[in-house]
Amino acid sequence: MKRYLAALFLVLACSNERPLPPTTSVDESTPQEGGTVVRRLQSDVSTLNPILSTSGYDRFVAFFLFTPMVHFDVNLQVIPGLAEKWDIAPDGKLYTFHLNPSATFSDGSPVRASDVLFTLKKIVDPQNEAPQIAGSFEQLDLRNTKVIDDHTIAVAFKQELAAQLAHFNDLLVLPEHVYSKGDFKTDFAARAVGSGPYRLVRREPGKEILLERRPEYWGKRPYLQQVLFKVIIDDGTAWNAMKRGDIDESMIAADTWLMESRRPELTKTIDFRRFYTLTYNYVPWNTRDPMLSDKRVRHALAMCIDLKSIIDNLYHGTARAMNGPFTPDQWAYNPDVPVIEYNPQQAQRILNSLGWLDTNHDGILDKGGKPFKIEMLISGGANPSNPFSQLFQSELRKIGVQLVITPLDPSAFIQRALAGNYQCAYLSWDLDPDPDPFPLFHSSQIPPHGQNFVFYSNPEADRLMEEGRRELDQSKRTTIYHQLHALLADDQPYTWTVQVSSKWAINKRVHNVKESRGWGLFKWYPGELDWWIPSNQRTHDAAARRR
Amino acid sequence: MASYVARRLLYALLTFFGITVVVFALVHSVPGDPISFYIGTHGVSQLSSAALDAIRREHHLDEPLISQYLWWLRGVLTLDFGSSIINHQHVTTRILEKLPNTFILNSIAFLLAAAIGVPIGLWSAARSGRLMERTSAVLFFLLYSLPSFWVALLLMEFFSVKLRMLPLFGMTSDDYLQMSAAEQLLDRLRHLVLPVVTLSYAQLAIFARFSKSALTEVIRQDYITAARAKGVAPQAILWRHAFRNALIPLITLLGLTIPFLISGSVIVEQIFQWDGIGRLYFDSILTRDYPMVLGLTVATAVVTLLASLLADLLYAAADPRIRLEEQR
Repeated sequence: MKRYLAALFLVLACSNERPLPPTTSVDESTPQEGGTVVRRLQSDVSTLNPILSTSGYDRFVAFFLFTPMVHFDVNLQVIPGLAEKWDIAPDGKLYTFHLNPSATFSDGSPVRASDVLFTLKKIVDPQNEAPQIAGSFEQLDLRNTKVIDDHTIAVAFKQELAAQLAHFNDLLVLPEHVYSKGDFKTDFAARAVGSGPYRLVRREPGKEILLERRPEYWGKRPYLQQVLFKVIIDDGTAWNAMKRGDIDESMIAADTWLMESRRPELTKTIDFRRFYTLTYNYVPWNTRDPMLSDKRVRHALAMCIDLKSIIDNLYHGTARAMNGPFTPDQWAYNPDVPVIEYNPQQAQRILNSLGWLDTNHDGILDKGGKPFKIEMLISGGANPSNPFSQLFQSELRKIGVQLVITPLDPSAFIQRALAGNYQCAYLSWDLDPDPDPFPLFHSSQIPPHGQNFVFYSNPEADRLMEEGRRELDQSKRTTIYHQLHALLADDQPYTWTVQVSSKWAINKRVHNVKESRGWGLFKWYPGELDWWIPSNQRTHDAAARRR
Repeated sequence: MASYVARRLLYALLTFFGITVVVFALVHSVPGDPISFYIGTHGVSQLSSAALDAIRREHHLDEPLISQYLWWLRGVLTLDFGSSIINHQHVTTRILEKLPNTFILNSIAFLLAAAIGVPIGLWSAARSGRLMERTSAVLFFLLYSLPSFWVALLLMEFFSVKLRMLPLFGMTSDDYLQMSAAEQLLDRLRHLVLPVVTLSYAQLAIFARFSKSALTEVIRQDYITAARAKGVAPQAILWRHAFRNALIPLITLLGLTIPFLISGSVIVEQIFQWDGIGRLYFDSILTRDYPMVLGLTVATAVVTLLASLLADLLYAAADPRIRLEEQR
């Protein structure tokens, strides 16, 4: 028996595993065509139907299969996509798009203006249950939206919106003759017909998605012959796969970055990248809570966050301080707004002056017999919100404020937040390229109508947000948002903490990998379409051969 | 015997309804609902309230709990478990897509653990109390208490990354479809090695200790002493007289283990990217995908009930006294 087991083990173990790719010098200036890149998906896509997509990973794949009306370039500026050019009526309510006449779908049929109209109808139809994308076209005026000719469409809106043009990046046009048949909600989860540079070869749920370059593609041809997406949920497994050369790119965890990114045997084959994306961490304050309704209290609490120490010790220098709703890379960011200084003594003085004193000498401030005790909700499990909340807790204890930390899972948290049943939390947001903060801070967005779960309401801020989202003149809009930035920083409905950089590992055989200002490696144009792999380093070609 | 089976079946049916009520109440009493998935997992953008309302209406989330339960029960009775709120696919399709993967992995681990664990248990029962047996008991407890995610990472690091002998993750290689049938089988086996080892080492310890204690109990009985006094060979005593009577607790263990064959393991499935039920369950709970969670729970409940029914029948087969009691 033992002998058989040993023999079986030998057979299993001795089969050939792929050798590491050779590294020889290549001419960087001339991209080579062909090859297969293996990408990682942190979670399987929920569907290939781009209208119904619910996660960022869905968009990673859709980027190759479909063409949006407009693209974002490396600076996240709007550039032509499926529409070669467009005119916007002076009142900002009518967009006339001229489609690229050579554009075709992967089944060979031309892209028509009627397909654009069809897709818009699908987006705004509540029956399709696509709340995210429908939100981008909430103001669509379908009755006045008209197909002018085969390649021209006039899209009308009930209200002008400065971000509307950028929202057309969400409009991935579907061919009507394909998507109008069958069940729209379920039939297109594993098949796709789009006008993108690649077409779907196959999708194996939970495992992989293989795409292949369209030989007859109407736009600028990408270099890579195939893109293979592999689902790897676990970060540790993905990092091992990266080291083995099984995959070409992966986001990596902060501790992996810290421990591995300087090891010479790894940097030989792996390119470690770190950059900022449109995201920030923040402490939302429930401004309806009697203890937190005074902005001076919120400022005092914010003074107890030692951002410098958090950045140095918690993030090892891979984060930067935030002071408002815009990140330093955004044009809306006001450079004159200061970061709140760490100053617990001052914080204590402020609270004392507001009547919070330790009258019963138990080490905790009190007022009217009530101790200063607040609860902070954090998401459960091992993540950075955990050490942050503990640091904050120990800093607050020094000035006599008791912080109770409650870990919750996201759904449970959202329910409490929307009900106003919380005091503060530690969270992060992913932002859209357009900086409009209306959904978060406008008083009309207070739950149940929207995501203003800090219940912030300031008529002046409301006015700035209303003007800002309608203002079509970029320089005027910048002035408005600079004012808004200062006002929100002063009111502190959130205490903004840090922007943590995104960390990636890329196999060095993949060339010309560039990052955009805010979206990192993916989804902007040309982005991934400019990647290439030298012909002598194509380790994955046999693997993804067409079957 | 027939009335015994009928009674057991009736109990199972009643238990099943009890389970659906409890599970439904539990799932709905957890804070948060499927709508929070849309609000919570996305960045700053306006959501269409019309679309959110449509989701509530389609899945009857705007109705009282009782009527939600009746809607759901009506579906269950016609074997329609509804469709996922998150990605609109049918619950049954999703479960059947993942079930074979989990079943193959877990049943191989189970068989392996039983095939190694039970003989070891019998061996240690025969040597009960000796130094070797004591040592092995300690070793099995150690084995049982090793956390599986840690063992999995060590196995990966050593066999896949350092030695590059075994694949790191997944169920098949990239070039699986170009392989011959024999190569395909080998490829699948190679992918099974690490997850099976990770899953089975703790089970193996359970089987070994369980069968040992069951047999030790029996060996102390008078009829064994009598058989020994008669001069029956020790091997024959162990197999013919003792083992059959030690089967009862093993059957109980079997009944308890079968549900795990389909319920999956979140940790092993995640680490080895084994696309099974465990991860589906976990994600569905996080997103409060009620139809999916309920469908999976019902599936597990049904298998658990069937397994205990099977165990009941096997008791009767293994021990004639159980049958006699029923007839009285």
